[in-house]
Formats: sequence, structure tokens, C-alpha cells
Amino acid sequence: MTVAAGIGYTLLALGPSLSLFIAVIAKKPFLILTLLSSTLVWLISLIVLSGLWRAFLPFKTASLWPYALVILTSVAFQEALRPLFWRIYKRLEDMLDAVADRVSKPRLFITDKMQIALAGGMGHGVAHAVFFCLSLLTPSFGPGTYYVEKCSQMSFFLVSAIIALAFVTIHTLSMVIAFNGYAEGNKVDQYIVPVVHLIAAMLTLINLAHGGCIISIPLLYGMAVVTLGHCGKMVWTRLAENRSRQGSSY
Amino acid sequence: MEPGGSILESIGQEIIGVMSPVSICMFLVVLLVYSLYNPATANSNTIRTAANLVYMESPTDSTAQKLEGSLLNAAVFIILIALVTFLLVLLYYYNFTNFLVYYTRFSAFAVFSSMGGSVLLSLIQHFNFPVDAVTFCILHFNFTIVGTLCVLSSGGPIVLKQSYMVALGIIVAAWFTKLPEWTTWALLVALAIYDLVAVLAPGGPLKLLVELASSRDEELPALIYEARPTVEMRSSGVRGSTMGLLVGGISGDNSRSTDGGVELQAVLRNNNNNGNENRGGDSIINVLENESNEIEVVREDVGESSPLIGGSSLMERLPSPSERRNNDNAGLLEGNANSRGSRENESQGEGFAETGLRGLKLGLGDFVFYSVLVGRAAMYDLMTVYACYLAIISGLGCTLILLAVCRHALPALPISIALGIMFYFLTRLLMEPFVVGTSTSLVMF
Repeated sequence: MTVAAGIGYTLLALGPSLSLFIAVIAKKPFLILTLLSSTLVWLISLIVLSGLWRAFLPFKTASLWPYALVILTSVAFQEALRPLFWRIYKRLEDMLDAVADRVSKPRLFITDKMQIALAGGMGHGVAHAVFFCLSLLTPSFGPGTYYVEKCSQMSFFLVSAIIALAFVTIHTLSMVIAFNGYAEGNKVDQYIVPVVHLIAAMLTLINLAHGGCIISIPLLYGMAVVTLGHCGKMVWTRLAENRSRQGSSY
Repeated sequence: MEPGGSILESIGQEIIGVMSPVSICMFLVVLLVYSLYNPATANSNTIRTAANLVYMESPTDSTAQKLEGSLLNAAVFIILIALVTFLLVLLYYYNFTNFLVYYTRFSAFAVFSSMGGSVLLSLIQHFNFPVDAVTFCILHFNFTIVGTLCVLSSGGPIVLKQSYMVALGIIVAAWFTKLPEWTTWALLVALAIYDLVAVLAPGGPLKLLVELASSRDEELPALIYEARPTVEMRSSGVRGSTMGLLVGGISGDNSRSTDGGVELQAVLRNNNNNGNENRGGDSIINVLENESNEIEVVREDVGESSPLIGGSSLMERLPSPSERRNNDNAGLLEGNANSRGSRENESQGEGFAETGLRGLKLGLGDFVFYSVLVGRAAMYDLMTVYACYLAIISGLGCTLILLAVCRHALPALPISIALGIMFYFLTRLLMEPFVVGTSTSLVMF
């Protein structure tokens, strides 16, 4: 398999993000900047985590617990960053509103705020896909392929692309959910995000068992669908609420 | 919701206008390095250029030897650059402007013809692209001539100029990636420091050059990427002033005087002393001074041809959006018509006012050395490429924001290069084993 396969894997992991990027984000420079900075935040978190765990790698034991510990700390750390990101965003939003007032443009609409959250989440998701999937895809552009022993049904590239797609979805949408939760003070929305992230990450532990990927991938996609559904419902109600409120104010 | 009403569409436009060509340049250099770089033959055919005059790296040398040699190389290169820059300042001071213009054109010609030709040739060889020599020569000659005419003239479509600038950056960067590893790193660090000194220190050559140019009301005869809007952009109401506004918001400074828009000029002198390719092959002196990345802040009064003086600039702010839009477009047209708008020194010492709408400007040296860093990272792994790319872009963003805050000439290399190098080594030493370890066992988060 050559270039075609490599491009295929890449698009499998990042295709939806790419189309979302072109459709929504590329037209608005500010969203691109948000995306980039959120990617950078994720990268920094990954570097910090790897600095933390570097000394213990690679794990000698075949047991689960070191991996579970890695995932627990990683998810905890990344979820701790999210409120921080929110706080920065909050300040930025005030600034944007001030600027909008000064150039006599309308303030941020609710859709604008959601788009900012989407861009922020997509930064996380894309960073995940890039570092966990894309950066290992290089060999797939060449003539060879690679199978891991634990998941012999498909090539490693395909598995990692499929998993990356699920995580991109989860990361992207959970930022929208979380931001909404913070804005509304909605506890459910605030807590569902780390929980989903943790469950999804823990599901990948199944891959350590022989043939585990057959089970874990559908479960992972189940989580992605749950996130998608929750996000969709939430956005729908927010928009409907907003419309009715606007309608009554006129 | 009115179309285009959102503030999100106008804020950060100038930043993106600079970032996207830099990204394109880096991306293409990475592709080039990926397709052409071959670790097996990498060390056999290093060429002697001005950047490794003193020391030729060979993989068998000890680390101390490599370090010492690469530091020496970098020092020699920087001294050469500094000398040539001072020479240029001198020439410019005594009004040899035409000489400088033709010299820059000549060096652009040399880069496009010889270095560009060799890059193209190796591409053709690598991909077995069927083309005969005559066709190639004709096409390449045309490419070169158009490029040479484009890079310094104010006529011609701006898109063409911009793409030739990017092409120039790619070619030079591709050439620089052939340097041995240690020398590359030493060189990048040295250049970042040199840039800092040359732009910020009193009496620094680039600072002198820019001040000279601005006091004379001229454009520097240098290779600069202009992020001017290509055609009249769709109704971009507040273009050119949003960054100042945003930063004004950051610093909590609500006085209207920040409203004047910010323009950067990262001026790059590309004095390619390509005493190129002595085909006899002893020593190829290839002095590519692509330094100089100062950025100057220019106050820009949109659609206002008389210079604003302090008081009045406080008065005339905030026209209605539509009015502003008209002003903008008028300014744009004017700016395109006479690219050298009459600038006048403002008495308040705020810098200088300038008619016509101009975008940000970034020196070609930034393009080149950002791309060199990313290209070097590409020889290791894709992961380091992404990390370095993000670091460089965020460094560039920081520089732009810093520029809007402190509003005087700023070097564009130091922050980006420092971040880039830091992230490269962090990624290579810390992150790579971790990520590869977890993801090959399909554990992700």
C-alpha cells in the first residue's frame, strides 16, 4: 500500500474535522487562532504528561495497572486544564464584546460562542489525532504495512485511524458541552465531559487483551455517539430557548 | 443576523494573513525534505557553503568536536552577515538605492535560476518526471524571469508577488536544510540572537536601516512578504485596525488613540552573495544573508491623506461601519495605485503615518529560517514537525501581539526559534517514547 493508503488513513481520522474546518472555521480568522492555541495547549499537556511518565517507560509488566494509571493521570490533567481554558476564553469573550462595541458591530451571538467552543474542542481533537495517529502514519505512505500482535485483524494504521476518529469526535464535542455547562452553571454538563473522556480512555485498555480491539472499538464509538447525541440535544435546546427569548424581547 | 456581521470574521485577519503563507512555506519545505531526503546519502555530499566554512561535520566526530565546530561555523556566518549588513547600510546611507535594487534583483535571479533549478532537477529525478531538457530550460527560464521581475516591483498582481516570495523562501530553506545537523541548530540560535541585537540594540544595523528608510520615505529595496489583501476583500469593515483594538482591550487602555491600526514591517534583506557554485567545486561561497526581521509599527490613518496630529486623531474615530468600509476601500485602491503612499513623520513621534492600506510585512528571512527548523525536524520524525510547527506559529503570534503592544521595531525570529527549538527537543526526548509506547499498544486518551 502506498500513498493512497496513507491519504486514506489520514482522511479517515481527520476527514470530518477537515470538512468542519473548511465549512465553519476557515472563514473566520479568530476561530483559526482559537484552534491553533487550543492545539498548542493540548500539545503542552501531552509534553508535561510524558515528562512525568518518561522515567517509568517502557513498562516491564504485562499487567494493566500501569496503563490504567497513565490514563487516569492523563485524563485528570487534561480535564483540569479545561476549566482553565474556559477562564481564558471568558476573558477573551469580554474583550471581544468590548471591541465589538467600539467598532459598532453586534456583540457575540450564541452561535458565535458555540463556534468558539467548537474550534477550541477541535484543537484538542486534531492534536490528539495528529500526535497519536498521524505521526505514526508515516510508514504507511511507503510500501510496507504494520500489524500489532494484539489486534491482528487489521493493520495498525487502520485501527489507530479508527480510534482517532472516535476521539476527535469526543474531544471536539465535549468542549462545546463543557463550555455550555460552565456558562449555564449546569452541573450535568460539567461532569459528563470528564466522565465520558475517562470511560473512552479506559475502553482502550481492552486493546491490551488479544483481539480486544474488536470489542473496544464499537464501545468507543458508542461513547462517541453518546457525546454526539448529548451535544446535539443541548445545542438544539439552547438555540430554541434563545430564539424564543429573542422573539419575546421584540 | 446580518451577513458578515460577526466580529469573529474581522479580528485576527492580519495575523492569519501572515500565518498562512508561513504555514504554506513550511508545509512545502517539509514535503520537499520528505521526498528528497535520504539519510543514507545525507552525509556523503555535504557542500561547503558560507554556513560551514570552518568545520565540516562528519558523523564519526565526538560530541565536543561537533559542538565546537558548529559554534565556530555559526559565529563565522553571523560575522559575515553582520559585515554585509553594515555594508548595505553604508550603501543605503550614501544613496546607492538603485544599486541595491538591482543587486537584490540579481540575487533573486541567482536563487531562482541556480538553486531553484537544482531543487527542480532533483525533484524531476526523484519522481522520474518525463521532461526533456529544452522544455525544462524554457520553462525554468520563464519562471525565473517572471520571479525576478516580480519580487521587487510594485506592479503586477500581488498574488504573484506573494507566491514568488514563498517560492523563494522554499528554495533557500531547502538549500539550508542540507547543512549538517549540529551546524543547523547552532546557526538558528545564533541567528535568533543576532536578530535580536540587530533590531533592538541602538546602532544595530537593521535598526539603522529601517530608521533610515522611514526617515527618507522610501521602501527598503529588500525582499519582504507583504500580506496586503489580494483583491478588495469582501466588506472587511474594520480590517487593519482590529488588532490594535484587541490589544487595546488587553491592556485595558480604552483611549481611542490605539485605534489607528498597526502595521508590521518585518524587513528582510536578502543579500544573497551567491558567489554561487563554482562548478570547479572547491569552495562554494554561498552567503545568504537572510537576516533582518525587524517589524515596525506604522500608524495608518485609513482614507485620510493629511497626516493626523495627535488631537485630531482622537476626534475622528468611529465612523459608522459602512462609512469606514468605504474609507477602507478607497484607501486600498489608493494603496494599490501608488504603493509608496506619502508618509509623513508625525510630530508626536508615534512612528509615522502612512496613507493607503497596507497589510503586515514579514521578512523573507523569517520564512526561510522557520522552514529550516521545520525541515530539520522533518528529518527526524513527523511528530517533531507538528510540535515545531505549532511552536513557531504561536511564537509568531506572540511576536505580532507584542508588536501591537509595544509598537516599535521588533525582531520576528527570537521567540519563534526559541520555542521551536525547545519543543523540538522536548518532543524528541520526552514525548516521542511516551506516545509511541502508548499508541503502539493502542492505549489512547
